[in-house]
Amino acid sequence: MTLLIQTLILGIALGGVYALMGSGLSLIFGVMRIVNLAHPSLIMIGAYVAYWPFRLSNIEPMFMLPVAAIILACIGAILYRFVFEREARSAKYSEMTVLLTFALAMIVEGMLGTAFTNTQRITSPDYATEAFFLADIFIPKGQLYASIISIIIISALALFLKYSRLGYAIRATTENREAAELLGVNVNRVGLISFAIGLALAGAAGALVSFIFSFFPSKHWEWIVILMSLVVLGGMGSILGTVIGAFLLSAVAALVGTYFGATWSTLTFFIALFVVLLVRPQGLFGEKPELA
Amino acid sequence: MSKLLEATGVVAGYGDGPAILNGADLSVHPGKVHCIIGPNGAGKSTLLKAIVGMLKVREGDVRYKGESLKGLRPDQILRKGICFVPQERALFPKMTVRENLRMGGYSITDDSYLNNRIGEIEEQFPILKERHSQHAGTLSGGQQQILSMARTMILKPEIVMLDEPSLGLAPKIVREVFEVMQIMAKEGITIILVEQNALMGLKYSDWGVVLDLGRSLFDGPAQEILEDPRIQELYLGGRKDKP
Repeated sequence: MTLLIQTLILGIALGGVYALMGSGLSLIFGVMRIVNLAHPSLIMIGAYVAYWPFRLSNIEPMFMLPVAAIILACIGAILYRFVFEREARSAKYSEMTVLLTFALAMIVEGMLGTAFTNTQRITSPDYATEAFFLADIFIPKGQLYASIISIIIISALALFLKYSRLGYAIRATTENREAAELLGVNVNRVGLISFAIGLALAGAAGALVSFIFSFFPSKHWEWIVILMSLVVLGGMGSILGTVIGAFLLSAVAALVGTYFGATWSTLTFFIALFVVLLVRPQGLFGEKPELA
Repeated sequence: MSKLLEATGVVAGYGDGPAILNGADLSVHPGKVHCIIGPNGAGKSTLLKAIVGMLKVREGDVRYKGESLKGLRPDQILRKGICFVPQERALFPKMTVRENLRMGGYSITDDSYLNNRIGEIEEQFPILKERHSQHAGTLSGGQQQILSMARTMILKPEIVMLDEPSLGLAPKIVREVFEVMQIMAKEGITIILVEQNALMGLKYSDWGVVLDLGRSLFDGPAQEILEDPRIQELYLGGRKDKP
């Protein structure tokens, strides 16, 4: 019993971070129909932004979180303006972005590899190796802090989307781009801002990831499967769905890891992706795909 | 009569495709209800989309209060007071009725004014007040149409263009929708209506325009069009005096 609870707690403690990693992906897909395969490679940039100041002058990685978010938001605005905006009206835009972001992921990976080599890195503030104990059960501090911060950031995003004027515009554009435009929303600007926010979330996630997982430039391939599976499970474009998908899958993956062996843990995400696409392709909260 | 909006020789089409409009004209008189009729593929919806900037005007011009609208984006044209309700109603199905109304006033930055307007519209259309927290996607077809028409009124627009508001609605509901249109007209909003049900559309209109093959063939008071035997024959489903 203790083992079961322990496993679930470890899984859930990771869920928040996965949710933050996936929420940017989901937002960008929802608003722009961009399938951002480069998302994890951009998270990786965020991780390096947190890593170097820690390594060189012992700067707390959580202080670097807003810095990473801002840097990634700027990268996002530039990328959107010069790469993604051009074909935004194309009927095959989503398909095109799969190839485009695949290439982008390789470029980012190559650049990071050249700059920082493929050595495994991790920031190791004290709390990353400490834990809280409740009787026989331990909760790793690093994962707990990272998940709490993730949930705070996602809640702030949700409130922003629900109540701010720009949030209205983003939601409206997600639901019906043409109608939003007719009501006076400058959809191109909303696209740019959403893309920048999505990447800011990636940057923030990167800073948190830097002390939870060891990372190296080509590790993003492993993450994309995880992120895709939880975003697809939740329903592409639904942030609430992404959060629920993240907690669900990371708990299941932890259980699989404990009872079937750690090697099988990652497989959970592949299988989930497979099953969801077969059984309920729109996910938990997504819209039913239209028959073309 | 002075003209509020005037389209002259408009040539437009979708993307790089062939021109659907081949020199269409439209004169809009302030405060009147205009009905554009014509067979399928005549370019009725295309003309509306070209006016609001959703399609590029390749040749010709659209002038509003003497100023050309050519090359402006839909959001810029909206700010000048021209609203468009497209055929597919263009609601946000997962946003509530009130959030949809709020989106109607997206270009208003004064929050308290916007809230007042939403309140006024909800008074005018009690069904919207009653359903304010319901998702727009769960409304009936007629209610959705009423919402998308009422939504334009938040902005107190000068011109509202309605693309087939009766599409897919039961006859009784169609009458309700046309009554909403009359409420709008009474408030002084100039209306341009595209209607497949030409007889009904013209009955509720002051002015009629017949469009065919991308050109305007006839333009005159709705009553005259209804009584013109040639137009009856060609576009209104046969002459009434025929057995």
